[in-house]
Amino acid sequence: MKTKNLILFTLISSFFLIFIVSIWKILATLQGLNIQNFNLQIIFIFGVLISFANLRIGNKIKDFYKSILFSIIFVICDGYLIQKLPLWYNIGIFLILYFFVNKINKYSFVNLREQHSTQVIFFEFLTLFGILFFSFVILFPFYMMLITSFKTQIALLVNPLDFSINFGQDLKSLFKSYFVIFESYNFGRYILTSTIVSVGTVIITLIFAIPAAYAIARLNFFGKTFMSTSILIIYMFPAIVLVIPLYTIFSQLGLRNSIEGLLIVYTATTLPVAIYMLQGYFKSIPKELEEAAILDKLSWFGIITKIIIPLSIPAISSVALYVFMIAWNEFLFSLMFLDNPNSFTLSRAIQYLSGDAETPRQYLMAGSVVVTLPVLFIFVYFEKYLVSGLTTGSVKG
Amino acid sequence: MANIQFKGIHKSFGSNKIISDFNLEGKEDEFLVLVGPSGCGKSTLLRMIAGLEKIDDGEIFINDQRINELHPSKRQTAMVFQSYALYPHMNVFENMSFGLKIEKRPKEEIDSKVTEAARILKIEELLDRKPKELSGGQRQRVAIGRAITRNPKIFLFDEPLSNLDAALRAEMRVEISKLHSQINTNMIYVTHDQVEAMTLADRIVIINKGNIEQVGTPEQIYNNPANVFVAQFIGTPKMNILEISEENIISENTIKLLGLEIKFNNIKFEKSKHFIGIRPEHLKVSYESDFNFNAEIDLIENLGNEKIVYIKKDKNQLSAKIPSSAEITNIIGFNIKDLLVFNKNKIRVNI
Repeated sequence: MKTKNLILFTLISSFFLIFIVSIWKILATLQGLNIQNFNLQIIFIFGVLISFANLRIGNKIKDFYKSILFSIIFVICDGYLIQKLPLWYNIGIFLILYFFVNKINKYSFVNLREQHSTQVIFFEFLTLFGILFFSFVILFPFYMMLITSFKTQIALLVNPLDFSINFGQDLKSLFKSYFVIFESYNFGRYILTSTIVSVGTVIITLIFAIPAAYAIARLNFFGKTFMSTSILIIYMFPAIVLVIPLYTIFSQLGLRNSIEGLLIVYTATTLPVAIYMLQGYFKSIPKELEEAAILDKLSWFGIITKIIIPLSIPAISSVALYVFMIAWNEFLFSLMFLDNPNSFTLSRAIQYLSGDAETPRQYLMAGSVVVTLPVLFIFVYFEKYLVSGLTTGSVKG
Repeated sequence: MANIQFKGIHKSFGSNKIISDFNLEGKEDEFLVLVGPSGCGKSTLLRMIAGLEKIDDGEIFINDQRINELHPSKRQTAMVFQSYALYPHMNVFENMSFGLKIEKRPKEEIDSKVTEAARILKIEELLDRKPKELSGGQRQRVAIGRAITRNPKIFLFDEPLSNLDAALRAEMRVEISKLHSQINTNMIYVTHDQVEAMTLADRIVIINKGNIEQVGTPEQIYNNPANVFVAQFIGTPKMNILEISEENIISENTIKLLGLEIKFNNIKFEKSKHFIGIRPEHLKVSYESDFNFNAEIDLIENLGNEKIVYIKKDKNQLSAKIPSSAEITNIIGFNIKDLLVFNKNKIRVNI
């Protein structure tokens, strides 16, 4: 059992090392570095040796020094003896090795002796593989978008497959595409429109969704179950089915090319899910809290504003985030309803630019980065409100 | 300073009848404990007083004022919930002052009321903590404090101690008892724990299936239970009930019980089934009792200060509570004054 675990552990960790070093080598190649040979056998042997030596040394040396030691040995062999590679590459390799040795530090002969440690090792490395693989798959297109936006027209035409960023040029020419899209293509205006539409949708949706969700969660009224189950039925209609009748109606009402029109449609499409998400959360708030509030002379309105909303901040912020992202990225309705460039939203503007054969690709990519970044930042910022458990301490617990 | 009066209260949820024709009159400043098994309707009654549950039929009066249609906040009651129901996003001070703030009372009054309540409950140093930073007992104190600041005529407690562990429960029981003598207000307390009922109450109301089984002081309930249900509900282990079939009624005042012929002076037995009750603590291991019988001992549970002895005599299973110091023999005895006689409808005969 012990040898089996040992072999499995060294094999898996070596493959993991090959995997992360290869990713770094691929990225380095994309950056223009000329690597003739990936040297997979050598990395594999190193992986086996390091894993084994790590087990052998155990606690005799502090983990920190052990990591540094192994990393330096590997970097010297791989980056200087076998082939000469630049410093930035070797720093990357050093950090990767440091990360790797830190990961395998927690294994020792003692816990490899346990029977179930095969499974533990297997799953831990599988998780790491998964995380690295998927982040690579997801981040790569974003990386493409980013580097393309930093290129000049000529560079793109000369070598479209060059994935490196030329940091040699000055900042102004590096960010040229961004200046251009704001100066010549009016992106400031599109951002403003998109912001107004998205924030407006969030506010209006919440104003309607909170009382509606509260009613479904708490009050008894005729047709309540029918109402609450039929809320999601709107999602059975594809948007494309709705968009044509809406087009004619909006044309007659004069709502086309207007922010108000978009707000109405977006609110209608996001409201069901918002209500559904909120009512689930409202139901989880203990009823006694509201009863205590009734005894404290609070009206229904007071209960919603003073008890329910403060306690539902995690749910409300995730709903707000969801609605914001839908409204910010929405494309179909804005394509159909907006045809005056003065009222374009960002996604509509990108489509408009890409339909135009004369628009250089780097500007499109810069535009796409501008569309993506706010959502990214908002998500990172709001993420901390998404923690659950604000109700801890109110009732038994 | 209030008295509460129930007149013919009915309540049902759907087709499920919870309370039917409930009548009771409270006394001033009394500590009334409603006790009964789960689902007997005692919490529903309390929620009807507070106004959280509609009254189907009948009337509730507080100080001769009908409160059926009054808004919960105007009934001058304050409720302490089983789950505390503290507002988790407010600190202790805000929790306790919330009701006063809603009423827009002046700040000095709020401050003085909250500090007074905090002083009574000894939670002054907790005022700026959030509920999640408090222990179970502290949360319960805050919940009681919130009730005190509202200055109610009647306190309503809905199983306030059932979420606490045994030691804390005993401690809080004493605190609530002290609180009652300190602020002298009516308290209505719902529990399914007979120890809380016995220790706290001025009067106990025993409820079963929405009906009052007996109302009385703890002593009356313990010594003179009105029927078999009450007799078995109060006291641990529960009272032994022995069935006397028709053949065992020997004459108007003599019965055959556990193989013994027992003659009562003050009862006239009908020729029908009867039940005899005797508390485990009244069974003794000595020859000095009025009657003795030979029994088979099934099991002995040692509780430290006393032993619970499970015994068998013919077909009857009995339990006896015996001091640890006593030596256990097969001879079990009892006195005639400790026997409670119930008729065939399980109603007490010899009161």
